[in-house]
Amino acid sequence: MASDSDRLLVQQIRQGDPRAWDHLIARYEGRLLAFVQRRLHDRATSEDVVQETFIGFLTSLPNFDERRELQTYLFTIASHKLTDHLRRNGRHPLQNAPDELLHLKLDDNPAASSMARSHERRMLESEAVARCLGQLIKDWQTEGEFGRMKVLELLFVKGWANRDVAAFLKINEQQVANIRFAAVKKIGDFIRDAGLPADVFPELHVADAP
Amino acid sequence: MTKAAKTSISREQLCGYLDDSLCDTETARVEDALRHSESLRKDLRSLMQERDRGEHSVGAIWRRSRLTCPNREQLGSFLLGVLDAGFHGYVEFHLKTVGCAFCLANLADLEEQRREAAPHTHQRRKRYFESSAGLLRGKR
Repeated sequence: MASDSDRLLVQQIRQGDPRAWDHLIARYEGRLLAFVQRRLHDRATSEDVVQETFIGFLTSLPNFDERRELQTYLFTIASHKLTDHLRRNGRHPLQNAPDELLHLKLDDNPAASSMARSHERRMLESEAVARCLGQLIKDWQTEGEFGRMKVLELLFVKGWANRDVAAFLKINEQQVANIRFAAVKKIGDFIRDAGLPADVFPELHVADAP
Repeated sequence: MTKAAKTSISREQLCGYLDDSLCDTETARVEDALRHSESLRKDLRSLMQERDRGEHSVGAIWRRSRLTCPNREQLGSFLLGVLDAGFHGYVEFHLKTVGCAFCLANLADLEEQRREAAPHTHQRRKRYFESSAGLLRGKR
């Protein structure tokens, strides 16, 4: 969700206001530089990539949806510029892969497959999951249930197995299984209630009682 | 990565790699594994094809929506050590164990702001502005 302040800034930039553009640069360049520099480990080159990111932002501005979070959008552009840079300099890990992997990673073309599910459908599913999980996380934060957040983040975001999560957090595996089961059930129900298919998410297949 | 972390590369880590959302250590580990393992490259290829078909995962949505990322103010409070203990512990986990690349970048920026001499920053911002302001509407 975009902040009001960012939305206003973008509107002013769309009208060609140089002060607003200066303000946006000041607000975001530091974090973008840090993001790029963590990969490149070279200050001057990283500054060049950030410069290309800002140019890329202005070039793509007509297509920018102001409901999107500006920071995430800028990080996405920076990420693409970073990959381009690594490829140009032969530093990309897939550069010499004997197949089409590098090409696939660099060419972000969602329409490439004739089997592609509709973008709208995918957005609806994403929004439903984000809304449900967002509410769950918000409740846990309010209740100070950070242990549950950690369990779910390791399972879903890192893809760790129950056993690894339990060992890392020093809890028993059954507790991890219970937290996973409750979350999977809640998300699955939420998606189905929204009239969407839960089976498109591999993580939601393990719905058997622990 | 912490010592209890898995030694193999999970599907979600590959997914995070494609989204550039891993921390630098983890990115390096995935890239190294990709260079040396044909089987992992196969997994990556299959994952890319799944994404191309419009398939997605809860993990990818979580990362993209940044569901558990602390905001900038909270990161600032974390640096100052003024968050309550539970939340402080969670932010530390998000940064160190999850290794969220976007939050680590924000944190590094906040740390840099405390250290860096102003003229340096001003010069850099001026350069970005001058190289791009010509693209603003009405300036063309």
